Amino acid sequence: MAQNISPEQSGGAGGSSSVKHNDDSLPIKDNHAVSKRLHKELMNLMMANEKGISAFPDGENIFKWVGTIAGPTNTVYAAQTYRLSLDFPNSYPYAAPVVKFLTPCFHPNVDLQGAICLDILKDKWSALYDVRTILLSIQSLLGEPNNESPLNAQAAMMWNDQKEYKKYLDAFYEKHKDT
Amino acid sequence: MCDFSKLWSSDVVKIFPILCGSTSQILQSPKEEVFQNVCRQMSELGSVGIETLTDIVKLEMRSTIRNVIVPKFWVHFQVPRKETVSDPNALFAKFIEAVNELHESYQYLLQMQTRLIQLNRNGPSKTLEKQVVDENGTKTWLRDAMLAQLPPNFDVVIGAFYSVHFRLFTKDIYFSSNTIDSEVLSDLPCTGCNFEVQKCCCQKLIEMVNKTNQKLLELGLIDRLAGSSMTALIKQKIKEHINDTCLGIFDRSHLKELETWLQDVIMSWLRNIFTGGKQCDINECETIQGFKVKLTYFMYETFAQSVISRFFSIIIDYPDSTPAINDLKICMEKIDMRVYITKTLRNALEARLLHPGVNTMDILTGYVAAIKAIRHLDNTGVILEMVTAPIKDYLRKRNDTVRRVVTGLTEEGPTDLSEELAKGESVKDGKDNTTDELSNWENWEPDPFGIDPNILRNTSSKIMRSADIISMVVDIYGSKELFMVEYRNLMADRLLAQLDFNSEKEIRNLELLKIRFGESLLHSCEVMLKDVTDSKRINSHIHGDGNCNENQLFDISSLIVSAQFWPSFNKESLQLPEEIENEFKKYTKAYEAYKGNRTLNWRTVTGRVNILIEIGDRTMEMTVAPTQAVIIYHFQNKSEWGLEELSSLIKVPPSALRRRMSFWQNHGLISETHPGVFTLIEKESEKSQFEEMNITDADEEDLESAMASASDQREEELQVFWSYIVGMLTNLDSMPIDRIHQMLKLFASHSGGVEFTQDELKHFLQRKVREHKLLFSGGVYQLAK
Repeated sequence: MAQNISPEQSGGAGGSSSVKHNDDSLPIKDNHAVSKRLHKELMNLMMANEKGISAFPDGENIFKWVGTIAGPTNTVYAAQTYRLSLDFPNSYPYAAPVVKFLTPCFHPNVDLQGAICLDILKDKWSALYDVRTILLSIQSLLGEPNNESPLNAQAAMMWNDQKEYKKYLDAFYEKHKDT
Repeated sequence: MCDFSKLWSSDVVKIFPILCGSTSQILQSPKEEVFQNVCRQMSELGSVGIETLTDIVKLEMRSTIRNVIVPKFWVHFQVPRKETVSDPNALFAKFIEAVNELHESYQYLLQMQTRLIQLNRNGPSKTLEKQVVDENGTKTWLRDAMLAQLPPNFDVVIGAFYSVHFRLFTKDIYFSSNTIDSEVLSDLPCTGCNFEVQKCCCQKLIEMVNKTNQKLLELGLIDRLAGSSMTALIKQKIKEHINDTCLGIFDRSHLKELETWLQDVIMSWLRNIFTGGKQCDINECETIQGFKVKLTYFMYETFAQSVISRFFSIIIDYPDSTPAINDLKICMEKIDMRVYITKTLRNALEARLLHPGVNTMDILTGYVAAIKAIRHLDNTGVILEMVTAPIKDYLRKRNDTVRRVVTGLTEEGPTDLSEELAKGESVKDGKDNTTDELSNWENWEPDPFGIDPNILRNTSSKIMRSADIISMVVDIYGSKELFMVEYRNLMADRLLAQLDFNSEKEIRNLELLKIRFGESLLHSCEVMLKDVTDSKRINSHIHGDGNCNENQLFDISSLIVSAQFWPSFNKESLQLPEEIENEFKKYTKAYEAYKGNRTLNWRTVTGRVNILIEIGDRTMEMTVAPTQAVIIYHFQNKSEWGLEELSSLIKVPPSALRRRMSFWQNHGLISETHPGVFTLIEKESEKSQFEEMNITDADEEDLESAMASASDQREEELQVFWSYIVGMLTNLDSMPIDRIHQMLKLFASHSGGVEFTQDELKHFLQRKVREHKLLFSGGVYQLAK
């Protein structure tokens, strides 16, 4: 059984067969290596079963994923969950995926359209990052915003008063969580 | 006019007594002058007179037929019910009487008719003659009237008559076929007439019957009146005959005999009726021929039905029952019975095989026999496909099917699967066959008719239908992989069970399986066998190594298995005593020295230990499982152990340990003095009550498999799928089952390897719902909060 789960063993043979499948069913011209890597990432993510973060392809296209992160404990975001969309370019992993919040998020570095200001998604991107690390980074960004370059000035201003911030955030979250 | 009324009352009535109501007495031939007189008088009246008279007479004849003769004839047939049952002979006599009467009346009417014709011929209007009186007029009137007034149960009487006739007729044949002692025979009543032999009146009866038949023939009534009841009678006779001669006898062909019988007995009887023993003219021949066609068809149908109703026995008896199948094949060419046979057979199989009381092995045996027998019957495989579908479905639900099939493949058994395997026909690739079919178009045969085309379309292609038996059996699950995994497990068990293994037979089996299933699936099995031979070599090498043998306490022979290729072991553990473990370490060192970069991982639970026990004044030498050996080893130094204490020392869970202990309890070495406390018994007689109670626990140890079972492995695979499902539902909220299935196929299929049907998935998801890990509502699944 062990050899079946092990990515080294089965990633190659099995992965390529499902990639082929993708090729047949998708109009987009896929890059084998990219979807192979995404399949592998998906498997690692599923096997690791990390608490608080999760992601899965949204439909048949492995280049579009939906992610879920839980607000980190001991922060104002605790007990809230946020949905994100991840769009992988054909040049992935040499280019960063486009990550956006689907659930409206009141946060200094997230604008109201869900765009995220995070260095590793922009100029600090490296091919060594993967879905798991992206999600973990975003999760930690929630608790530790970078108030130097805010996208949401109101949130950046309110951040200092955590009590007030929490009150506002909870109301905001309740209002928008189902959208 | 006065003249005329006198003429009427005296002469005309004499010639045509029917005009005054007389119906039956045979006329004295009337005096010539009376006739002449009427003729003269009539011709004086002119053509109108004769015409009128003719009309009156005809009218009167018809009404007599309708109102007197026919009702009188039919009255004979209105018998009280009881009589019909009790005495067919009375009915027989009655029928003859009725026919006689009818015939007399007919003769009388015929006479009327002749006179009428004569009268007309003498009259002036000769041209009208033909139109006025038809030669066959009377016969037609009579027949019309007869059939118009048919009483509902007339055929009872006719049936009775003909059954007596038939009995008389077949008497001789009956005698020749039943050779009864002539002495006994004389005491029995004559089979023909039921009278004692001395008073036998068969001859007389036959004459009577023949006369009656002739009369009916003359009246042209025999076909109409007796046709249907004769057919019914013959059908019954055919049924009886088939039941008597063929039922349940499948090892020889019956059709020839039946056809001869039909020709010799039934047809000659019919000929006898229709011709009265004379040469037949063309018309009659046609009637008889018509009967023959009808009856032959019926005979085939009845025969086929009787065979089909017993088809299950035929399947079980195959190939001894081949003649019966050949017969049925001939019948099927003549009669369309496919739907009937499929339905009946399906029902029979379901009733006989597919219920919990039947062993899986027996079902498989039945399945294989059914494949063979139905193949013989219909080589297109359509019937087979339809009939065996329920068996396949059912076998899929039994969890020991795979194991049984694999056992059947590798061992001698009732299913003959091993023989089939040895035939060594390799499964052809699908592609090869299609090209084959194309190039072989001259021998193409259409799909058989009479089967719902929808079913045909849904079932697999022709190639699949003509696959061989092993493929049919393996196809139960639709994948070869499952069988090969199970085969690997069984082989691993066998290899581990007998360490001094002679692998020749295994290698032969493996080669045969490779021909059939391809090398790649059986690669790991090959490695396993190689491991066994390699281990032997390594053992002998290490034993020959002097360093290792110094201070050795006991011999160790190892079986070195490659973890990648052997099925995973079950998760039992066992901690060896230090003294013994050291020996193992020495062996490992020797191995490392021999093999360089490799080391050994000991699986201490599996294997065999030869031990010599000296206790009190007894010595026992036995071969036991390692766990048992370790248990008794620990009793060397300490004669009383608590279950928990020992359990933690040797790292075997208490429940398993207790089970292992029972082995020693059965051998009278250990007893459970208090619940949970085990003591060594020094003397033979010291047996506690506990032990006697437990003695029933036989050591089933040897039957246990060291391997994780196929279902356990499946469970692990499902676990992989489960994490995907959780991931999916976390991010996509709720999904219907077919979408989950699709996603798993797309994204998770490479991690499990084995395909996953939607049914299986449904089963699995429902289990998760029961475990409150999933919610199911409105057709979609979502994670429980």
